[in-house]
Amino acid sequence: MVKLYDPTAAPTQNATPLASRVTDLNGKVIGMLDISKPNGNYFLDRLAERIQADFQPKRIIRTMKPTFTRPAPEEVRKELEQQCDMVIEALAD
Amino acid sequence: MAQKGSRDGTYEVTEDMDAIEFYFEQGVTDGLPVVPPTEERVQRMLAATSRAADDVMALVPPNFGAATVEKIAVNAVMAGCKPEYLPVVMAGVEAMCDERVSLHGVQGTTHTSTPLFIINGPIRHRLDINCAAGVFGSGWRANATIGRALRLMMVNLGGARPGEIDKSCMGHPGKFSFLIGEYEEMNPWEPLHVERGFAPDQSALSVYCCDAPQCLTNNAGRTAASILNTIGAAMATGWNDKTMLAGSYMLVMSPEHAKTIADNGLSKQDVKRYLYEHVRRPLGELLPTPEDPEGFNVARLPKWLDPADATTLVPKVLSPEAIILVVAGGTAGRFTLQMTGWGGGSGTQLVTVPIEDG
Repeated sequence: MVKLYDPTAAPTQNATPLASRVTDLNGKVIGMLDISKPNGNYFLDRLAERIQADFQPKRIIRTMKPTFTRPAPEEVRKELEQQCDMVIEALAD
Repeated sequence: MAQKGSRDGTYEVTEDMDAIEFYFEQGVTDGLPVVPPTEERVQRMLAATSRAADDVMALVPPNFGAATVEKIAVNAVMAGCKPEYLPVVMAGVEAMCDERVSLHGVQGTTHTSTPLFIINGPIRHRLDINCAAGVFGSGWRANATIGRALRLMMVNLGGARPGEIDKSCMGHPGKFSFLIGEYEEMNPWEPLHVERGFAPDQSALSVYCCDAPQCLTNNAGRTAASILNTIGAAMATGWNDKTMLAGSYMLVMSPEHAKTIADNGLSKQDVKRYLYEHVRRPLGELLPTPEDPEGFNVARLPKWLDPADATTLVPKVLSPEAIILVVAGGTAGRFTLQMTGWGGGSGTQLVTVPIEDG
């Protein structure tokens, strides 16, 4: 037998379980995260309009990452985590 | 992810197994055959460092797989590195995983971007790292295999397999190897590592995530302005021609271009300031239109620029410091290569680290 080495390593971060899905937007605090990619703000504007028209959310909170090149800063994540029932993120361009 | 069948980081295979085919089947190559990392080869590589094999140098994003000294040695063997290259490979891992590089984003981007590694100091001669003619090409074992080892680890430890986590639309030819030495001996200015605060005789590695080089030719110009205007015209199209006040640029100047510019009395800082001041475009040409929604976001205009005046000249970059200047390449040829750094806004930053035992 010959011993050969494995060049790979397992991912270090633990798997994060999926949050339970919100099935009714009425009465909910909805967070919206703009990641500073082009036109993300317009997308979220239209989505917020549609949600307000079709449902009665308790509140919509708009947040933004200062740059798309790095994870969201701690204060943005805390605001979403502590105040929102669900979060909609505008990814990509 | 540790491969199936790997126990404690090793495989036991029968002697008649074709080891090269085995590693293809494991999906851990860059598409080219690798040198099988046998016990003997890995131990020989590990003997080149005084660090312990289970020392963790860094966690490689986005999977944050642990780059232990052993894993670095294994990937270095696979790439074809000599043991004496190991300190450079280790410096490369440390540098590329620095948070300021934004490797996490670069590994998953749809863009064309990969880390470029630049070597400075005496280690270039000790290891025969090419700085001169053919510097971005093939043929030099150190350039080819050190760069290759680092790329293998971005995939094998970081998890950025092309088409999976690595979403790059076009890929990048540097995703085999992308490593150069700076031609300090032909550089009329201070070399990159000295500019970054290192002593001239301290070997150092810099990393910068960027797209593939664009080659600018200026043969007839005998003034700094002529050459810099040629370079500036290309810089103006970085990302696209309407992206302004963003990003960073790497210029790799041939010795001939550098000499002409320096003989004209310009320092490195003068070059950067010239480009910052000249690569600009009128605001009126930059705005999105119904026919072409691509355009500059006026909401991001700094206070010192007038948004009401269409003739306002908007700079390509936020400051002269967004431009990085390195001298490399052959002594015959009037060329400069330009590479656009990743991330428009506050994207990747160049990071320089010392090379241990360098």
